[in-house]
Amino acid sequence: METKRSLVSAHHNYMVNGMLTPGFVLGEPEGKDGFYFLADMVLPGESTPRISGRFFDENGVFLFELVWNRLTRNPSRCVHKAIPTGFQVYRVSGETVLKVSTGRFPNGYLTFLEGRLFDSMGTIRMEQEGQGTKINGDALLVLSSPYQNGSEGNND
Amino acid sequence: MDSTGAGVWVFGDYADYFQNRVTLQLIAKAKSLAKVLETGVGVVVLGEGVSQYVMEYAAHGADMIFIADHPDLKDYDVELFTSVTASWVELFSPEIFLAGATPFGREFFPRLAKRLKTGLSADCVALEIDPETGLLVQTTPAFGGELLADIVTPEHRPQMATVHPGIFKELQHDPFATAVVVYPQVPSLPSRKIELIRRRRERSRKASLKEAKVVVVGGKGMGSAAGFEKLFHLAELLEGEVGATRPAVTAGWAGEERLLGQTGKNIKPRLVISIGTSGAIQYTAGIQGSEVVIAINRDHRAPIFGMADLGLVGDAQSIVNLLIEELNRRI
Repeated sequence: METKRSLVSAHHNYMVNGMLTPGFVLGEPEGKDGFYFLADMVLPGESTPRISGRFFDENGVFLFELVWNRLTRNPSRCVHKAIPTGFQVYRVSGETVLKVSTGRFPNGYLTFLEGRLFDSMGTIRMEQEGQGTKINGDALLVLSSPYQNGSEGNND
Repeated sequence: MDSTGAGVWVFGDYADYFQNRVTLQLIAKAKSLAKVLETGVGVVVLGEGVSQYVMEYAAHGADMIFIADHPDLKDYDVELFTSVTASWVELFSPEIFLAGATPFGREFFPRLAKRLKTGLSADCVALEIDPETGLLVQTTPAFGGELLADIVTPEHRPQMATVHPGIFKELQHDPFATAVVVYPQVPSLPSRKIELIRRRRERSRKASLKEAKVVVVGGKGMGSAAGFEKLFHLAELLEGEVGATRPAVTAGWAGEERLLGQTGKNIKPRLVISIGTSGAIQYTAGIQGSEVVIAINRDHRAPIFGMADLGLVGDAQSIVNLLIEELNRRI
């Protein structure tokens, strides 16, 4: 029988590849210009997910960079909009690039991600699957500590 | 021997989660048993959209959680749950498997034990590891409660037991906790023989205030008999009971048997929701032993807020309506 494994946080998780995970990384966050997507671990005391990344369109054209949920570079003039459950970033054409939505339980939080993410080669790296997110290609699917504090986490 | 590092399993019975704490109590007991056996605690969670329970079990001490998040498992179904769980037990070979003696646990666990060809001790009041043999000693009342019998399962595995809610104490919620989650393959499921059409709680009007874990108390601020009547609906949704202050009883909105305080009953439930009550000492004397008191009153100076753990200032009837609406939505 096939058995998938992950890690779950008692406080906050993302739903990715049909699994719960405290955080995950696609691509190389340390790179200068290439694609990456970081859904970082959220510690108790915080309730909003920490999303960072460099986003490209289906032709590999750079759209924008997000650092901790804020747009830092945005040559394509995408729009960042707060929604009651989180935020979304969409293109001027209205097409959603990324939607981050967090549900609240009595004692914890679960974040769902929506959108189609491409790398700088135009290869699809993340897409919608049911209520969760499906990831293509190499990824660090489980962070056991916050990535942006310098730890690289563990791939369980 | 188990193949996962989690040799003591607990069935994650999440029905009526915030009233039914038996799974959390069993996780705590399983931790102490697992420590003796130098293994970990696994919790089996079957259902659809079970993420919040998975996180709760991690927060209360589970080391490993075995999940089947599957649309066919959205309702408790003994046959389907037995099929999935039996295949996982055969795959991972836990030493011990515990469940709450809840209505579902009492139906599910005997069937699972039969499928696994092992023994089951029902309604245990104590569980310990025999230091010499390493076997689980399952203590259960026998002969109508006249005797306590210690039962062991020396040959067959897992050693299975059901335990009444309230026997063990749950561990504190730890938001920093993590657990390994395992998603074993769900075997092909037998077709359902029973289709659940709807779920409805039985409405009980019998006052059992002394035993209730949740008590909704109404006072004069409920305004009318019709307003007070809504408290029965709210209590039903919370699986609790209704209490009343003297003015509500005098107004004829509730019977004398529901009266709380110096001239009525003293109660010690886990939760009191005191609605439209001013907080006169004659009444609050009867709820002083409660673990948590939530007060709802239009008047922010009402003395009830002085003893409440949480206070809501607002119109009692409007808040009751909102609570009923929200609870109905969740069921």
